[in-house]
Amino acid sequence: MFLNQFLFFAAILFSIGVYGVLTRKNGVLVLMSIELILNAVNINLVAFGALHQDISGQVFVLFVIAVAAAEVGVGLAIVLLIFRNRRSINVAEADLLKG
Amino acid sequence: MMSLFAQVPVSTPEIQWFYLAPILILALGGVLLITLTSVAPVMRGRHISALFTVATGVLALAFLPFIAARLDGLVDPVAGQGGRPAVDLVSSALVVDHFTLWVSGLISVAVILVAVMLDGYLEREGFESPEWYALLLISASGGVILASAEDLIVTFLGLEILSIAVYVLAALHLRRSESQEAGFKYFILGALSSAIFLYGIAMVYGATGSTTLTGVAGSMTGRNAAGLSPAVDSSLVMVGIALMLIGFGFKVSAFPLHIWTPDVYQGSPTPIVGFMTSAVKVAAFGGMMRVFLVGFGGTFASDWRVLVLFMAGFTILFGSFLAIVQTNIKRTMAFSSIAHAGFMLVGLYAAASPVAIGDTGKRAVLFYLLAYTFMSIGTFAVISIVGKKGDGNHSIEAYRGLAKREPLLAMAFTVLLFGQVGAPFTAGFFAKFRVIAAAAQVERTEAYILAGVAMLGAAVGAYLYLRVVVAMFLDVQESPSTEMADSADETLALVEVRALEVPPATLAVVLLAAVVTLVLGIFPDIGSGALAEAALALVR
Amino acid sequence: MMSSALLAIQSTNPIALTPNELWVINTFFYVIAAVGIVAALKMVTTKNVVHAALYLLVVLTVVAATYIVLGAEFAAATQVMVYIGAVMVLLLFGVMLTRAKIGDDGDLDYDSKWIGGLSAVSMFAVMGYSLWEAFGTDELPADMAVQRTGQVANSIFSQYIVPFEALSMLLLAALIGAVVVARRD
Repeated sequence: MFLNQFLFFAAILFSIGVYGVLTRKNGVLVLMSIELILNAVNINLVAFGALHQDISGQVFVLFVIAVAAAEVGVGLAIVLLIFRNRRSINVAEADLLKG
Repeated sequence: MMSLFAQVPVSTPEIQWFYLAPILILALGGVLLITLTSVAPVMRGRHISALFTVATGVLALAFLPFIAARLDGLVDPVAGQGGRPAVDLVSSALVVDHFTLWVSGLISVAVILVAVMLDGYLEREGFESPEWYALLLISASGGVILASAEDLIVTFLGLEILSIAVYVLAALHLRRSESQEAGFKYFILGALSSAIFLYGIAMVYGATGSTTLTGVAGSMTGRNAAGLSPAVDSSLVMVGIALMLIGFGFKVSAFPLHIWTPDVYQGSPTPIVGFMTSAVKVAAFGGMMRVFLVGFGGTFASDWRVLVLFMAGFTILFGSFLAIVQTNIKRTMAFSSIAHAGFMLVGLYAAASPVAIGDTGKRAVLFYLLAYTFMSIGTFAVISIVGKKGDGNHSIEAYRGLAKREPLLAMAFTVLLFGQVGAPFTAGFFAKFRVIAAAAQVERTEAYILAGVAMLGAAVGAYLYLRVVVAMFLDVQESPSTEMADSADETLALVEVRALEVPPATLAVVLLAAVVTLVLGIFPDIGSGALAEAALALVR
Repeated sequence: MMSSALLAIQSTNPIALTPNELWVINTFFYVIAAVGIVAALKMVTTKNVVHAALYLLVVLTVVAATYIVLGAEFAAATQVMVYIGAVMVLLLFGVMLTRAKIGDDGDLDYDSKWIGGLSAVSMFAVMGYSLWEAFGTDELPADMAVQRTGQVANSIFSQYIVPFEALSMLLLAALIGAVVVARRD
């Protein structure tokens, strides 16, 4: 098994995630794209852990999964707050703030 | 089943609780506050949460001299090859040295001052919530963790604790859609930047085989930790460093990751903006300095400091020039805080140089953080007062005639703004001067250019602060009252002009900040011993 | 530092794969990776929010399988339980509570996609280049040990106790935050 087959898989997922964050207007879809990026990170960490024969890669992944779950919780709470007030979670319509 | 019980117990690390005091006090303060207020309704009374938070901050602050004394008394400093006193805690997850203490001190001060001004703000806006304070305390504990982290895992978690609480705080003015929008924007961009930051950590871990800063630094000097040949892993490390720079750059709002700043500052509750410009910035810079100077300080310093150089220059220029065209004071101050971050990055650029200049640079950044903490909290305390009920009265026009109506407030605000300009006899002068001097000491063409850009930025920035000062000393425009024919409306308009509630506690914060700005400007060497110790602690 | 128990566990599970087994595992990985990439692309381009969530589900499952291939069993189990079990449900709740259109929604993307596309492609180019520079065709160690759950537990509760505790503060902050933000005034 090449190390790079995993790392390139992760890099592709990462790039797709970045594309998603930059092109999606819908708040929930942006959150999903961020999850994609975090998963790419996790693949990297596990692969490097396997390379270095080191447990900390896998341990790091567990922390990242927990942080991701917490982020989704807070993120959805904020998205729902916005939706309640505006009936829309369109990022492009969030334009109250400007100079 | 037997084999399960027969297992040899895991050796758990020894924990030196005393050194962990600042983190524990801030974190447990938050937990205790939220628990007590849910269990005992008495605790939900006005001012009690604020008092509790202030007491927690003071307690954390009070521990610092004792920790410093014990650090100095160490016979055999555990970490720190330069012989600087430092203690590695809990199997090298955290390190407590004078740098940690300096940053913890600033964060505690920020918590205290912000809690005081938050009290007046919440009373005016009709919120009665201990959650604001609990989130403030938890966020602060995350900041201290970030600045004292010795392991990149801990760095990341500290950053996330710091941020998640602030995302929520930004959205917490539940009746203003602007606030929700600010929280939403901050959250989306913050989550993206921390994901990118994490990718950087993964790259560094892959290239070096270690997540501890000393491990990373060690494998970079040896460059053979995981059997990787020296030439091979350098590009990977640089990608990792660049991605981590993006993550930190977002938190300190450096170009080109500053775009969120004006929107978020404009929409967020004003005291929370004060917290963002002080505690969040201090913690992010603390973490950044520790990671970059200790972890990547060796072989790669000459590579990444070029990135920091460009970042610093553009940050100053963007912050200073774009601030001029703003009409909203919070947006103006947002761009000004971007510019200030640029100045601190200039100091970081100098700090990445070899020993002597490096120390000057580190001292300059740490002093800048001290000065800016007070100046920005004071500034946002004034903005919070002038914002009036609803937190929406933020046009620069609103400051017309402030000198007549509230002379004391206007005087203090003038001092704070002059401090931000960098006028002589204020803390801001020495902050900017030291940073630019440190950059000039590097004695390279690009460093001189950077110092020149910084001076240009300081000069341009002067205009925007003076605009506010001039507005304060102008008379109130007569036009609103003449336009209104109806007498009832007229009295309403007059009430509107006069009704500027100034909570005494918030005023005290403003005055304290102004006094500190002046004192540090006249006696800039106060606390220079602690400052020097803090700067030296980052030598590994 | 490492306890003797930890080392003992580590030494009990060297798994030397035969070339045939390796070939099977590798082929399996390439197939699921292709599925994952297609699903991820669909996720960021589909016009239907619910479909996007289901495509994300596919990606998350593929990632869990990748962990198994790499011998990280506990991470795989956590991925299934936390991501597929909890986070996905949360996201689907988000989709439903924000009244996503049933069927296609034409207003999900920005009109100009080239900025996103350009950033994604250039990021991939930089990363791909540096990864290829660094590791080229390096193989993972053939006797790659499966990292047992026991080892994970041991290191979380010894070496990584501080991040573990810090995580609890993070979850508390998220909990308070989510409750405060989501409740009605």
